[in-house]
Amino acid sequence: MFCIVAFIVLGILGIFSATSKELAKEALNCVFRRVTFRPCDTGFDEKMKARILGSVITRSEGAARVLNSNFELLAWVFFILMLGSSVWAVRGSYLYLITGSCSGINQTAFCIFDPRGGHNKVSPLTDTCQLKPTTIADLTIKEVDLTGFPVLNRDAKNKIVMVGSYGCEYSREIYPLIKRLVSKTNASFTFLDYPVKVKTDLTTRLGLCVYQHDQDKYWQLNDLLFATNKTNLDNAAFAQKAVASLGLDRFEINRCLNAPRSKALLNKQLNEVVKTNIYGTPTIFINGNAFVGPKPYRVYAFALSGLLYWLK
Amino acid sequence: MDLNEIRQDFPLLQEYRGPKAIAYFDNACQSLRPQVVIDAITRYYVSSSACSGRSMHRLGSDVTRHCEQARDTVAKFIHAAKKEEIIFTRNTTEGINLVAHSLDWQKEDVILISDKEHNSNLLPWQILTKKQGVILKVVPSGEDNSFDLDAFGKLLDKKVKLVSLGYTSNLDGLSIPAKEVVRIAHLNGSLVLLDAAQTAPRRRIDVKDLGADFLAFSGHKLLGPSGTGVLYGKYHLLERLAPFLVGGATVLSSTYDSCQFLPPPAKFEAGLQDYAGIIGLGAAIRYLEGIGFKTIEKQELLLNEFITAQIIGIPKLKLLGPADPKQRSGIVSFYIEDIDSHRIALMLDQMANIMVRSGQHCVHSWFNAHKIAGSVRASVYFYNTREEAELFVNCLQKIRKVL
Repeated sequence: MFCIVAFIVLGILGIFSATSKELAKEALNCVFRRVTFRPCDTGFDEKMKARILGSVITRSEGAARVLNSNFELLAWVFFILMLGSSVWAVRGSYLYLITGSCSGINQTAFCIFDPRGGHNKVSPLTDTCQLKPTTIADLTIKEVDLTGFPVLNRDAKNKIVMVGSYGCEYSREIYPLIKRLVSKTNASFTFLDYPVKVKTDLTTRLGLCVYQHDQDKYWQLNDLLFATNKTNLDNAAFAQKAVASLGLDRFEINRCLNAPRSKALLNKQLNEVVKTNIYGTPTIFINGNAFVGPKPYRVYAFALSGLLYWLK
Repeated sequence: MDLNEIRQDFPLLQEYRGPKAIAYFDNACQSLRPQVVIDAITRYYVSSSACSGRSMHRLGSDVTRHCEQARDTVAKFIHAAKKEEIIFTRNTTEGINLVAHSLDWQKEDVILISDKEHNSNLLPWQILTKKQGVILKVVPSGEDNSFDLDAFGKLLDKKVKLVSLGYTSNLDGLSIPAKEVVRIAHLNGSLVLLDAAQTAPRRRIDVKDLGADFLAFSGHKLLGPSGTGVLYGKYHLLERLAPFLVGGATVLSSTYDSCQFLPPPAKFEAGLQDYAGIIGLGAAIRYLEGIGFKTIEKQELLLNEFITAQIIGIPKLKLLGPADPKQRSGIVSFYIEDIDSHRIALMLDQMANIMVRSGQHCVHSWFNAHKIAGSVRASVYFYNTREEAELFVNCLQKIRKVL
């Protein structure tokens, strides 16, 4: 058993040291003989045992005696520990690849939904939060009526739904990646604006009206809103300038912005977003699976196209 | 003898000092080299890197002169009648092989060896039994592993062409009564070859006094460079021997179907030689002479006596050879029942940088016959100290306690 542990450890050390590489080769030979039910004839295990004992004995004779009497047992313990930690490491690597986090927790940083703006205030000890906090398992897109939300490639098989906020740094970070993914895969992309950080009622309504007026121009406006300085959001002058720069009919857009119908639609859409149970932005649904907070591009790509996404 | 001053001469002992200090107890395998030897080798490559004995130019003449000086040094070192009796080889093994392949063997000629010969003095004869039909006979040692003259006498008959014996055993440090062996063998009309690999570094050898016909030893065990050795042979015998390896520098002239060999030693030194090594060997012998064999023997005995006295009481420890350190030169060879000798050696190395040899020391035949897996061999030399010996003993006692 010792050979296996030694082979793994020395194999790793062998990347950096020629001596360890030679020892790793000996260990491999020993492992091969052991798995083929033959005794190790290189004396590798004896050699390593002697070296280890030689080191331990100078520090503690008692420890050396225990080690000498229980060497095989200890080798088994180390083997099991190594196996466990290896499985854990592989799991961690896989989760990092798939979710962007070694622990597999599908959220990193995100903008907390805080409608009352009170998350920096000290609350009394007697205050309670929800009995059962919202978790990622509660997130859903099934109950949400997406009619009327801006959508690209409506009929595509793969669906990406992004709940984001123009004022949220994390949404701003992730939006270009999602756009890139959509452009590469031609997946359907629905954008749900949900202003969690700063008040962007005007901007939200502007988006709504532009989308109703000209769907192509809407996506140009969306790109602009995610790219512009946050101080421009909900700024009427900036909104007018944006409408002009996109070559839209300012009169029509302004009429739409002030129409009660628009406000009603906006409220309806916000109520629909609430049905997702989101607790922060960005929240990305890829074919129904939710990802909270910004992730590396590959995480979204894996979710959309599988592990071999780069071959597609 | 100022041991500290002597130790200054050995770069390796200077390199490993303080916490890295090593206790080199593997001198029976090969000794350390003093700076003068390293300098002599370097000087050849720096100042006169050329061919000896063939090139007429100045550098060639220099090398020839230095090599012949080395030959002269070796001849004087073993009291040879003349320097032409000295053949440079790569090691003791090559010297013995040279004799084995050059003597005029007849079918059923007998070769006598002892039962604890190094493979170098066993395998060449084993090969001859198959190739030439000669007979190899083994003289059993006495109970204390010493050479048994009676058993030797019993095996000696007119068919014995050669008696080939290890002068000092690398197994246990015991020396044979070489002079007596030679006398008896010569009375029988047999030739005698002595493997003096372990003797030459630690005891004065006088080949004229011994009367041995051939004597081989290595340079690397007596402070000289690796890959150097010497075969001494009585000149009239060397003249009769057929050359072993032939080629460049061995002939006076050649035609397409014949050649005229040079006289010894040239006819045995085929091809370009290790001139740097030969010059280094000369320097090593001169250094050794400077130390003196009395000093060497005294220090070896001092250390062997101390180590033997300290370890003899360790439970289950068996000493190879007689208990008396005086008979074992600088070698303390032992095994501890139930503990692998390699494990002890590796632990000594790991614990305190103590370098000893473990295993069967190329004397597999003896170990196999005695059903002993191997031994630990600590071999001291004049530059080893009492402190190193104490460290060795302390570590060994600790190992025994733990294993």
